[in-house]
Amino acid sequence: MVVVMRERASDDQIQSVIAKLMEMGFDVHRSTGALRTVLGAVGGSRQFDTALLEVLDGVQEVHRITEPYKLASRSFKSDNTVITIDDVRIGGDEVIVMAGPCSAESEEQVEASAAAVKRAGAKVLRGGAFKPRSSPYSFQGMGEEGLRLLRAAADRHNLKLITEVMDLSQIELIEKYAHILQVGARNMQNFTLLRELGKSRVPVMVKRGISATIEEWLLSAEYVLAGGNPSVMLCERGIRTFETTTRNTFDISAIPVVQQLSHLPVIADPSHGTGRRDKVAPMARAAVAAGADGLIIEVHHDPDHALSDGAQSLLPSQFDRLMAELRIIAPAIGRSICLEPVSRRGWGV
Amino acid sequence: MKADLDDLRKRIDLLDESLVRLLNARAACALEIGRLKREMGIPIYQPAREAEVLKNVQALNNGPLDQSAIKRLFERIIDEARHLERIAEEVQLQDHEKDGQ
Repeated sequence: MVVVMRERASDDQIQSVIAKLMEMGFDVHRSTGALRTVLGAVGGSRQFDTALLEVLDGVQEVHRITEPYKLASRSFKSDNTVITIDDVRIGGDEVIVMAGPCSAESEEQVEASAAAVKRAGAKVLRGGAFKPRSSPYSFQGMGEEGLRLLRAAADRHNLKLITEVMDLSQIELIEKYAHILQVGARNMQNFTLLRELGKSRVPVMVKRGISATIEEWLLSAEYVLAGGNPSVMLCERGIRTFETTTRNTFDISAIPVVQQLSHLPVIADPSHGTGRRDKVAPMARAAVAAGADGLIIEVHHDPDHALSDGAQSLLPSQFDRLMAELRIIAPAIGRSICLEPVSRRGWGV
Repeated sequence: MKADLDDLRKRIDLLDESLVRLLNARAACALEIGRLKREMGIPIYQPAREAEVLKNVQALNNGPLDQSAIKRLFERIIDEARHLERIAEEVQLQDHEKDGQ
């Protein structure tokens, strides 16, 4: 940690900051400059709040050098975390594609979507049964019946299932059906939910909140890790900016930034990231090129009649084309992407 | 020219040798002071004394290093002395704990 003193800080003020740092267990390196004094604080094992130093007289600013998250940090674990669910490895060389409808609407719709995404090479079926919608009057999801349909379709097509957990009370139920539990952007700082998911042994995907900094996002992952669940992946899904042309601004730079700061796999969600069907494929291509460990994409066989998020869902034919493009992009950065199903085209339809 | 350079470098090596010896002699002294501070119940950090040390060394300075350079160098030396005293204190505390068990 570095404490920068004000230009006219008195010796008394500097001395009381040094005394405080020593009391906190730090070794202090005092460096008197022409204009101001800078104090380097090294070591110190106790948790502390930098605000305690910022309020001391004569202190200009305090910079933390170490990250406030530990278990999620690359310095804690230098090797990439690979989450293995049977034959699906998330965080390895293969870019894992998760695709499916925003929400389960009917047996036919779930089956058609599962067949389509499997055919194109997805490894994980996405789909919601409980939908957090901005309006209480919007379609709220099919509930447990939706979970049952999603899991049955996933099993039929040898896919894994990812679905969102909105509330503490749903964990036990959803764990029975899903292979990956998704924490939505709106719940990213629901710390009681994150803590409870830390007790689960089902992998968790933490989406970035629409106004969350990367540090806040990693701290949310930290909650799950600290609870004892080591299988955490992160999902960039766009943040709110001043731009209104797209629903959110898809933050592609977050992918390499997080991969440097953390060992956890990073998934990209270009569907929510842009909110526009015609922007999904370009952003998906960019995310893979930027090094994303996976994609989560909304695909609907009849998006114009989807009960939620139709405008950002790809048609199965568009998804097919995108997957073909990704198969060219991934090898350029030394990765593979869902190679296996190509020879089985038409399988499961 | 080359011979001059070699001579000067040899001189630097000898001076460094003295510096290391002197720095360690100073550190040993600081450790002893740390022990006495603990016995007398005085905190390690003595800002008034540190300021006095810096004033003394600056008063002795004839250059070519300027006053602020001397101050920065001695701040490093004092930082290390404080660190040494703190480590010694920790070791002593651990020993006390062991004795207590």
